[in-house]
Amino acid sequence: MLRNVLLVISVICLSLWWAHRAAAQNAMPPPSETGGDCSPCHYTNTPSMDDLIPGRRCARPRESDPVAPKGDSAPDVVIMNQLTDIYVPVVFPHGLHANMENMGGGCVVCHHHGESGKIVSCRHCHSAETTADNLRQPGLKGAYHRQCLACHREWGHNTDCQLCHAKRTPGQPDPKIDPTDITGRLHPNVSIPDKRIYPTPGLPDGVMVTFQHKEHVDLFGKRCVDCHRKENCSRCHDTVAPPKHIRQNTHEDCVGCHDVAADCTKCHMNGELPPFDHARRSKFALKPYHQGLACQKCHKDNGIFTGNKTDCASCHAADWFPSSFDHAKTGLTLNEAHKDTDCLGCHPNGLGKEPDCSVCHDDKKFPKDVPGTLAAAPAPAPVAAAAPAAAPAPATENKAPVAVAEAAPAPDKK
Amino acid sequence: MGSSVAGAAFAQSALAESSANAEDGYGMLVDTTECIGCRKCEWACAQENKLSDKPVEAFEDPSAFEEPRRMTADAYTVVNRYDIPDQPAQHTFVKAQCMHCLRPACVSACLVGALRRQPSGQVTYDAWKCMGCRYCMVACPFQVPAYQYDNALTPVVSKCNFCFNRVQNEGKMPACADMCPPMCLTFAKRSELLRLAHQKIEANPDRYLDHVYGEHELGGTAWMYLTSRPVTELGLLEFDAKAIPDRTEPMQHAIFKMGVPPMLLFGLLTVAMKTFEHKEEE
Repeated sequence: MLRNVLLVISVICLSLWWAHRAAAQNAMPPPSETGGDCSPCHYTNTPSMDDLIPGRRCARPRESDPVAPKGDSAPDVVIMNQLTDIYVPVVFPHGLHANMENMGGGCVVCHHHGESGKIVSCRHCHSAETTADNLRQPGLKGAYHRQCLACHREWGHNTDCQLCHAKRTPGQPDPKIDPTDITGRLHPNVSIPDKRIYPTPGLPDGVMVTFQHKEHVDLFGKRCVDCHRKENCSRCHDTVAPPKHIRQNTHEDCVGCHDVAADCTKCHMNGELPPFDHARRSKFALKPYHQGLACQKCHKDNGIFTGNKTDCASCHAADWFPSSFDHAKTGLTLNEAHKDTDCLGCHPNGLGKEPDCSVCHDDKKFPKDVPGTLAAAPAPAPVAAAAPAAAPAPATENKAPVAVAEAAPAPDKK
Repeated sequence: MGSSVAGAAFAQSALAESSANAEDGYGMLVDTTECIGCRKCEWACAQENKLSDKPVEAFEDPSAFEEPRRMTADAYTVVNRYDIPDQPAQHTFVKAQCMHCLRPACVSACLVGALRRQPSGQVTYDAWKCMGCRYCMVACPFQVPAYQYDNALTPVVSKCNFCFNRVQNEGKMPACADMCPPMCLTFAKRSELLRLAHQKIEANPDRYLDHVYGEHELGGTAWMYLTSRPVTELGLLEFDAKAIPDRTEPMQHAIFKMGVPPMLLFGLLTVAMKTFEHKEEE
């Protein structure tokens, strides 16, 4: 018994000693113990967040922990007036820059430090006075200049001070700054090319890849940033350097939606790829009933269009077939005269689109004239309401608006 | 006997040099990837050292970059532009000035001790002691010291003094580093700069070559460079790690070692003369 108690006590003592030793190793000794000398552990005599202990760097969040930009709260114009000994304050069109952030790597490119997603100003970390204590971090002057020049130098090829700084005239009052001058300045809309053709001479059976650019944006609902990730200004703005329109790694841009490893000839062809044609691609003609529907109405996978089954019942109710369509479900009960009219007779632009009365009537026009009786509450948006109604699909209908919302351009949350 | 005394003095000064704690002195780290070629450092230097009264606009003339320049009597520092192959619109700018060697050849070559390396790292020049032999100009492997050839009566050698007075007495950093807009000049103790330089290389391996120019070159220099391209493409000369005085001084000092070689030489001369004297008498 005594032996066991002694054993337990000694084990407890040993573990206590061990814990104490481990704690002593990790804990920072008080300055009194080291005689005020921090050098055994710290690089510098006045350690800072960025320069702590050998082999251990400050857990400063960089791209892995980005700031969360709030589109509306971003300032439009920022006046930089911390360093104004020679020049007058700099007027920085922040909105213009933030406007393009989603294509250029996000807010984090400039706001590379954020405490729990909060955006802090440059001078929050970069002090105006240069000290020898924090050599890794440029002072405020350096931080400003490096941040601006990193892009402007690359595409502008101009490092003239007066590009940003208006010079101060000695004895003269500073020119008045009018920030309203540039308020609301946004990046001009980027024109979308119809198509891009990339030669791929390395492949004997496919010398070119046609990228239907406009189609991807207008038809498939791709956002710019889906492909243009981490762009930089000089790609478009650099007028001196040779054009850099050829993308570095095209496979990487396509791989999000297309299986680039499967069949090269799907993209690499010996001729130009014609515009998208649903009938050719899927052997399922959209005409007449499905024409005019948004892709996402049937292809529910957001962004990626996988093949759907072509029999009606895979989308519509099992007992549904075109002739059993009840127009009353759209909110409009057709009158006797129109009951047996062919669908396309009234909807020549596609089912779900607004009807065109002029095919038969010279003096009638929808929605002023209605070929029947409307339900109690008329549909607020005839086009939107008619679209699902033209091809009622009870099984999946209620989910459709969600898919559309997902596919719509959302603020980039990189 | 006089020459042996001089030899002892040389040996003593060499000993003092090598015992100076080179690591403890000040240094400067030049990040050539950040330099924008604004030449504000040239202007700040001219102002600080009263080298010229040119206005700042005179330093904004881009034609200065057409040919690589060297330091002159009225410019302790110059910024040169180097083209980047395949990128016609991009350039690398490199600031040149005295490198402030840890084992300076100019100090070793100076007969009168006008040039000396301060314990705080600066290689300074005392015009009052200088006799104008310009050995320092020949000795400097970086071809730094310039000379006031147009000053007939009181010419001096001119070179960067690392703002010795400004740093030691005013507690400020050198004027060029103070001015540099993108802060590509980092002024600190050399040992700290070396650590910083290697940290930077480690953190940005795509941006920098794994070489701190000046860490080992010619025994190390106080001014060091981080580059993204081989230094030879940026007007910096390639050197091995052996300091110039380590090549020249052993030979020079051997001649005067403990006074033995000269006495031996004089002894031989005396014997020879005596021998020939007797022969002539006969």
